[in-house]
Amino acid sequence: MKTSAVFSAVLSLLSLASAASSDKGSSKSTLPSTFKPPQVFKNANLVHVISVEKNYVKENINVVVENIDKKAQNEYYLPFTADQISRLGGVEVKDRKDTSAGPFVAENVEFDPESDTQYLRIRLPKPLAPGAQQTLGISYYILKAYSPLPAAIKQEEAQFLTYTFSAYVPSVYTTSKQKTEVKFPSGNIPDYTKIPGSGDIKEFPQKQGTKLTYGPFDEKPAGAYEPIRVRFEFNRPVTHVGRLERDIEVSHWGGNVAFEERYTLYHRGANLSSLFNRVKWQQSQYYQQGNTHALKELKFPLRVGSIDPYYTDVIGNVSTSRFRSNKREASLEIKPRYPVFGGWKYPFTIGWNSDAKNFLRKTATGGFVLNVPFLEGPKQNEGVEYEQVEVRVILPEGAENVKYVTSIPTQSISSTEVEIHKTFLDTIGRTALVIKTRNLVDDFRDRELVISYDYPLSASLRKPFIVFSSTIAFFVAVWLIGNIELKFASVPVVSKK
Amino acid sequence: MSAETLQVLADVGKGKSTRGVLRVIILALIAGASIASRLFSVIRFESIIHEFDPWFNFRATKYLVANGFYNFWDWFDDRTWHPLGRVTGGTLYPGLMVTSGAIWHALRALTIPVDIRNVCVLLAPAFSGLTAVAAYLLTNEMTTYNSAGLLAALFMGIAPGYISRSVAGSYDNEAIAIFLLVFTFYLWIKALKQGSMLWGALCALFYGYMVASWGGYAFITCLLPLHAFVLILMGRYSTRLYVSYTTWYALGTLASMQIPFVGFLPVKTSEHMPALGIFGFLQLLAFLDYVRSAIPSRQFQTFLWLFAGGIFVMSLAALVVATSAGVIAPWSGRFYSLWDTGYAKIHIPIIASVSEHQPTAWPAFFFDLNLLIFVFPVGVYLCFQELADEHVFIIVYAVFGSYFAGVMVRLMLTLTPVVCVAGAIAISTILNNYLVAKTPTEEDQQAAEAAEKKGSKSGLKSATKPVVGIYGLWSKSLMVAGMAVYLLIFVMHCTWVTSNAYSSPSVVLASRMPDGSQHIIDDYREAYQWLRQNTKEDAKIMSWWDYGYQIGGMADRPTLVDNNTWNNTHIATVGKAMSSREEVSYPIMRQHEVDYVLVVFGGLLGYSGDDINKFLWMVRIAEGIWPDEVSERAFFTPRGEYRVDGEATETMKNSLMYKMSYYNFNNLFPPGQAVDRMRQARLPEVGPSLSTLEEAFTSENWIIRIYKVKDLDNVGRDHISATAFEKGLKKKKTTKKRGPRVLRVD
Repeated sequence: MKTSAVFSAVLSLLSLASAASSDKGSSKSTLPSTFKPPQVFKNANLVHVISVEKNYVKENINVVVENIDKKAQNEYYLPFTADQISRLGGVEVKDRKDTSAGPFVAENVEFDPESDTQYLRIRLPKPLAPGAQQTLGISYYILKAYSPLPAAIKQEEAQFLTYTFSAYVPSVYTTSKQKTEVKFPSGNIPDYTKIPGSGDIKEFPQKQGTKLTYGPFDEKPAGAYEPIRVRFEFNRPVTHVGRLERDIEVSHWGGNVAFEERYTLYHRGANLSSLFNRVKWQQSQYYQQGNTHALKELKFPLRVGSIDPYYTDVIGNVSTSRFRSNKREASLEIKPRYPVFGGWKYPFTIGWNSDAKNFLRKTATGGFVLNVPFLEGPKQNEGVEYEQVEVRVILPEGAENVKYVTSIPTQSISSTEVEIHKTFLDTIGRTALVIKTRNLVDDFRDRELVISYDYPLSASLRKPFIVFSSTIAFFVAVWLIGNIELKFASVPVVSKK
Repeated sequence: MSAETLQVLADVGKGKSTRGVLRVIILALIAGASIASRLFSVIRFESIIHEFDPWFNFRATKYLVANGFYNFWDWFDDRTWHPLGRVTGGTLYPGLMVTSGAIWHALRALTIPVDIRNVCVLLAPAFSGLTAVAAYLLTNEMTTYNSAGLLAALFMGIAPGYISRSVAGSYDNEAIAIFLLVFTFYLWIKALKQGSMLWGALCALFYGYMVASWGGYAFITCLLPLHAFVLILMGRYSTRLYVSYTTWYALGTLASMQIPFVGFLPVKTSEHMPALGIFGFLQLLAFLDYVRSAIPSRQFQTFLWLFAGGIFVMSLAALVVATSAGVIAPWSGRFYSLWDTGYAKIHIPIIASVSEHQPTAWPAFFFDLNLLIFVFPVGVYLCFQELADEHVFIIVYAVFGSYFAGVMVRLMLTLTPVVCVAGAIAISTILNNYLVAKTPTEEDQQAAEAAEKKGSKSGLKSATKPVVGIYGLWSKSLMVAGMAVYLLIFVMHCTWVTSNAYSSPSVVLASRMPDGSQHIIDDYREAYQWLRQNTKEDAKIMSWWDYGYQIGGMADRPTLVDNNTWNNTHIATVGKAMSSREEVSYPIMRQHEVDYVLVVFGGLLGYSGDDINKFLWMVRIAEGIWPDEVSERAFFTPRGEYRVDGEATETMKNSLMYKMSYYNFNNLFPPGQAVDRMRQARLPEVGPSLSTLEEAFTSENWIIRIYKVKDLDNVGRDHISATAFEKGLKKKKTTKKRGPRVLRVD
């Protein structure tokens, strides 16, 4: 079977991952504050693709790097501002020519927390020989990237966002040739910065449909910067999840995996210039076919076989949800209690159950392997961004030897720990694996999280035994207490009357 | 089934321990039934706190769980009654919150992760199971039939009169108080029967718990001394009575004084004086009893008269002096309203405005008690037949309970236990007479007659009772079948009432879609959640007091007034702001730092519990404090109608409440066709305009409308001219009368 082959492959990876995760802890490493990246590379050719189609920014840098040093080099640095690096996530680096090389290790370099320039370090798996070239595909996401302009609009007006970036890619190396492309959700781009062109093009950018192209530029030194600001129509909600807590609870006795997700959701778009008007809202629902920048609905395509969904918030059940479940899909569609406009907040909780068979396998060696999606948030056309995601996998009481591997970029994982979680008549508590990540987006939906653990039979029998014996002890105690004579010595019946 | 197996079963039922086990099982089943019948709302809707007051109790419980007992005790709540605040810890009955807090902690200790909300929602059903057991115990003290106890437990478990206050989610003081009431009575009877100090002390303990839980404890405080007094009048003074009463009074009063809200009331107010009086009276009786045994009867007579007269005059004088000096508070207004049902309407409109304080209508008795209301007198009559001390108690309780239940709807609750007990006694007596399988044989009767003859010959009254029995199988089966049908109808009625009348959370409304599926109207929570998430943490919300607890509980925002109604003037201030013109209301709202105003409007949906329907009470309460500024008459048309359409009075149309309810409403309809579906009124074509408030949020079905109070104008204009300017209206030039032109002469 295919799945079993995947599992065995994963198992061999697990041992590596656990060894790596134990000594790393966080993905940051410290360098002296005087650090400057050595000028050992040159960007021979670079294409920078910025996508603002969704409510986060996705940037792709495809670069041909050339080693201009005399020694073989394996560390490539990418600069960001301190503000950017705090909002940067999901960094993935690949070799464009050789797809089998797998994702390279990319991590934030921590050297001076006060400095405005911070670096991302990419480790090439094989040091690049002097004079040799390698094509890197670097992709990353920037959250909270936009600011609405105007900052406050009317309920029925369209929403415009702005984004600022540099026409030249920020680099610590000299770049010989480069081009920056910006992709927009629609062709309505009322304002964008124009800069003088080079070569036979008089003025940048060139506009083609929903795309703006700056460049190609000729050689630019390290650190070259040319601010560009674009303002474009984005008449959809700017959904931002400040914090997502995702609990996955595995029950061996119940044969069940329970999911619960707690969202703190914000709308980061333009605020309302005059307060909410229900009449206008009802009219716009009718006439504009619901084309609005307010968040009205969230769709969660769950794994097939999910059952018993619930949708609540802090004051109870929310009745405006639908759940469609059949052999092909399990789709949970929820509506917030009120349409969420810019600057508004809506925290909520959803949860569901699923048969453990869908996620849990027993291995030949007697251990267990759990394979769950790392992130399963809503699937929206405009995208969803997550500032903090805390995934907590609660394994059965007495599970040990926990190892995990995940395809979530390591740069986004801020900490991992195994802790104890006590519920439902636990005595020693359940083993819980907590993975904290930051700056993820919904592109990482359905990335896998694979956990292996041992669960001996004695551990699974602990609870029935303890419940049984304590109940017996309780009854015995009651019987003993019932036998104690509390009255004063009873007077013989004859003398009473 | 053959006769032998029946015999075997009957024999099994005869063993003492078997019967005990059977009784335990039956009681457990009854408790289970009483819990199950209260879960309609949880199954239909969700595990949610109901109505108004429970939201405060829930909020207080959460505070207790989060901050611990001592902080709860000292809780000063600055998020209600802004800007006054409320000394919440000292003005509530903590029993309910402490109970559910203790249960929650116990479950936590067993590592069972239960949400405090679920503890609160299910507390009332759980305690109703205990009440059924307490009713069983109490009834067993009255009769020798165990079946009476079981019947009483069953009635107590499912009688709608009690269910009305104890469905799941109805997290109010009554949820545990009725159990405590019945159990305290049981302990009192037990103490009185045995003259036992232990039972008396237990009775005092549960009385203390009751005082900590519900203001209705005064019912016990008055009923027990009354029982004692009636017993004394019947010449039944005994050391048993002395021991049990004095133990209960001394310990119980001390216990009750530990509650900050009660404090020194037991020695200071008139409501508690009967208990103190009987306590003193019993001491005198005990003293006289002693004296009588010590001195000859002639002297004793004179001594008695002088002594009794002197004491009476002295204590009466002391009472009058103390009352007039203000040491003892006179009867409170709420108390007067129990004697004169019209009193509250005239003097305390705030009490009269609550529907559950209205006098009970006759059908309500049948609705809440069904079969029991006509077997209740039978049970009381049977008590007269036996008339031991405990039966006197049932009679006294029945008389008083009936009176109070007639005065106030909500006091039906205190009547229900005695109705269940008396009804069970009556029905079990009937069944015991008719259900006996054995018919008396001829020989039995002859023997009895012979014995009677012998007895009459000897001239003494027969000590043995004549053999009475039902002979005909027909009459037996007819009677038993009739009772069975009645009991079945009773069960069906209870289920029907519970399901239809008492299981609505009233926070969530249910309606039916055209295809028959259930549609939930959740406007309250939509608006409260909006307030909670999208307004400042300390934004003050002004609304009518009905919604104060809900706003505090669900929206978590400070309110001006709430269901505690401790400050009538503050409520009247809100009433005045709602019923006055904008120019008058705006300064009031500014002075109270109001940020948002919340009104409930049922015009779109036809929802009857809205603010326009409650509006007259706001006007009346405001008029009570400011008779010169607010006048109820001005809200009625010259023909005396209360109208909201084009013919409404100017005062009505200009009142803030009217404007907030109908603002923007006409835009929802084609011009000139706006209709208020609640009052079936066609509204004027031009809707009201607001200048000092702006609409902030309206829920999906328009039930809740929230308005933001505008800040002062930037250029210092008043809001009315500012709004007029924005609309493009020309400012009326105040043409100054100029004098005739005069030549300037230097």
